[in-house]
Amino acid sequence: MNKIVCAGNRFCPEDCFGPLVYDRLLLETIPPGVEVIDGGLAGLDLLHHFEDSDRVVVVDRVHGFGEPGELLTVMWDEIAQSKAVEYGHSAGLQYLLLCLPALGIIPQVEVILVGQDGSADEAAIVAAARMALEVADG
Amino acid sequence: MAETIQMALNRVEGDLEVKVAIDDGRVTDAWMIGTMYRGIEKMMAGRAALDGLVITPRVCGICSTSHLLAAARALENLSGATVSYNGRLLRHLVLGAEKLQNDVRHVALMFAADLTNKRYQDKALYQEAVKRFQPFSGKSVIEVIQASKKIPEIIAILGGQWPHSSFIVPGGITSEPSGADLRQCQMLLSEFRRWYEKSILGCSVERWQQVKSAAQLDSWLEEESHFESDLGFLIRCGREFGLDRMGSGHESFLAVPEHGLPGIASGGAVIGGVASQDNITEFMEEKISEQIRYSHYQDTGKGGHPMDTATRPSVPGDSKAYSWCKAPRYDAQAVETGPLAELLVNEDPLFQELVQPHGSSALLRELARLTRPARLLPLMEGWFHDIDMKAPFYQSPGEFIEGEGFGLVQAPRGFLGHWLQLSRGRIEHYQIIAPTTWNASPRDDLAKRGPIEEALIGTPVQDPENPVEVGHVVRSFDLCMVCSVHAVTKNGSSLGRVHFGAV
Repeated sequence: MNKIVCAGNRFCPEDCFGPLVYDRLLLETIPPGVEVIDGGLAGLDLLHHFEDSDRVVVVDRVHGFGEPGELLTVMWDEIAQSKAVEYGHSAGLQYLLLCLPALGIIPQVEVILVGQDGSADEAAIVAAARMALEVADG
Repeated sequence: MAETIQMALNRVEGDLEVKVAIDDGRVTDAWMIGTMYRGIEKMMAGRAALDGLVITPRVCGICSTSHLLAAARALENLSGATVSYNGRLLRHLVLGAEKLQNDVRHVALMFAADLTNKRYQDKALYQEAVKRFQPFSGKSVIEVIQASKKIPEIIAILGGQWPHSSFIVPGGITSEPSGADLRQCQMLLSEFRRWYEKSILGCSVERWQQVKSAAQLDSWLEEESHFESDLGFLIRCGREFGLDRMGSGHESFLAVPEHGLPGIASGGAVIGGVASQDNITEFMEEKISEQIRYSHYQDTGKGGHPMDTATRPSVPGDSKAYSWCKAPRYDAQAVETGPLAELLVNEDPLFQELVQPHGSSALLRELARLTRPARLLPLMEGWFHDIDMKAPFYQSPGEFIEGEGFGLVQAPRGFLGHWLQLSRGRIEHYQIIAPTTWNASPRDDLAKRGPIEEALIGTPVQDPENPVEVGHVVRSFDLCMVCSVHAVTKNGSSLGRVHFGAV
């Protein structure tokens, strides 16, 4: 099973990229073998989605990986090189991502991040949803 | 030579800055600066009576169930509605689950990370601390992530989702769990207990409950499985690093009555009250006040009780204010709240003795928190057992039109209160005092320091460039300020603050 896990806070404009992509994905045809998850602010509690998957596509707002406004995919190796974050409310998901090797998830599970730096318009949301589907189904 | 340092504190939930004055290697003054204004309470004005059940859990992503319960209790207090016994049991269970996951995560992921600070690299237990608590890879860190992920599933099974569920309503809960649901929850709880006993305690819950004095604690620590457990290590490491002699504060402690149930389920209830100078007094809600002389708010002129105070942000140029936290006081006193307060208010013999030599401390707060699951797990098992599948989980509370009420909860971090006034079915007034508002409060109208500010006084700081000791004291209160924007960032930084509108 491959999963698309959309993370973020839909009530917060700076952090609603993942939830908006999730909403868009509900309008798309989801291929067999792909499950779409509204990850919200669950942070560490998203762990079980990584444990029982072959590939996980995380959709979230990103910062510093590309140009502002750029829609991009970030492979695990690049995530692993990001500066370590302290555990806290604002770092739940990223803390989890960086723990994946110690948790035995990496390298067994392929983890890819789809994200955009900055605010996203509707076209970007549609594009991100399709990119997430392509990566998850690829 | 005196100097002042100001540090943005990470590994707390949200936005907080701590400013300390240091003279001759010790903190001589302190200021807790809440840097974020939200406005949840202002959002509530004019909304329908039940909207707090959906909006206020969003105050926090860690203790959203506690806010939901406080919101429901405020409406029940207003209307006089009663709650079915099954509803009470299920509410206690989800509140307990929220505490279980919070307590082990806080200790292993937030507090103990400081034990791996280079400041302690010459200490005998430093390498062992790194092995256990190194962020992202420490043995105990990884175990806690794996074990604690199962606990919110209990809330999700009973309440539909976690965090930010809205299944607790006046009169009970909206779900009617099946027998299979309850068995699954019990299985998750049992699994957590097995791990907690093996890794955290190194013994059974029952064995830990036999430890009722400082001498018995030392004897317990001598047994190998206890010595090697995370609890045993925290005690040993905390003593070696001096955490048992820093963080004593006003020594006044507040807990709300909680878990009160009739019959056999009544054991283990938090009695509630204020413990101060060997004196424990009964809790009285009317003694609570909010003071704002040092906070960025306007006075209403109607007094300090939260039913009368308002949330009106104000930053005049000549103000002495320095925090977006208000200063809650109980009977005009600054009081500490949290797991240690729970124990002292309930006259726990072990912790009453442990606070005697040096007062409260960063280490004692963590011990109180890490051993709370040992108190909760047997209670929760009993609550599951007491659920009567043939009895109702909800009873209609009627309509909510006029009046005022308050809802109090002993939340993971301590005292939580919601105050509510309704007029013609609409919310006219809403005030929230969260546990961290008590602990991280600024000075009050008499310029008396808040609990953490006071606890910092006298804290040794070996290196002002690396004031890890300040971090020990502040984090021992398990602060939860507010949620900030999260994103996966390349440099590990938060994306800053979101101005929803007030705390």
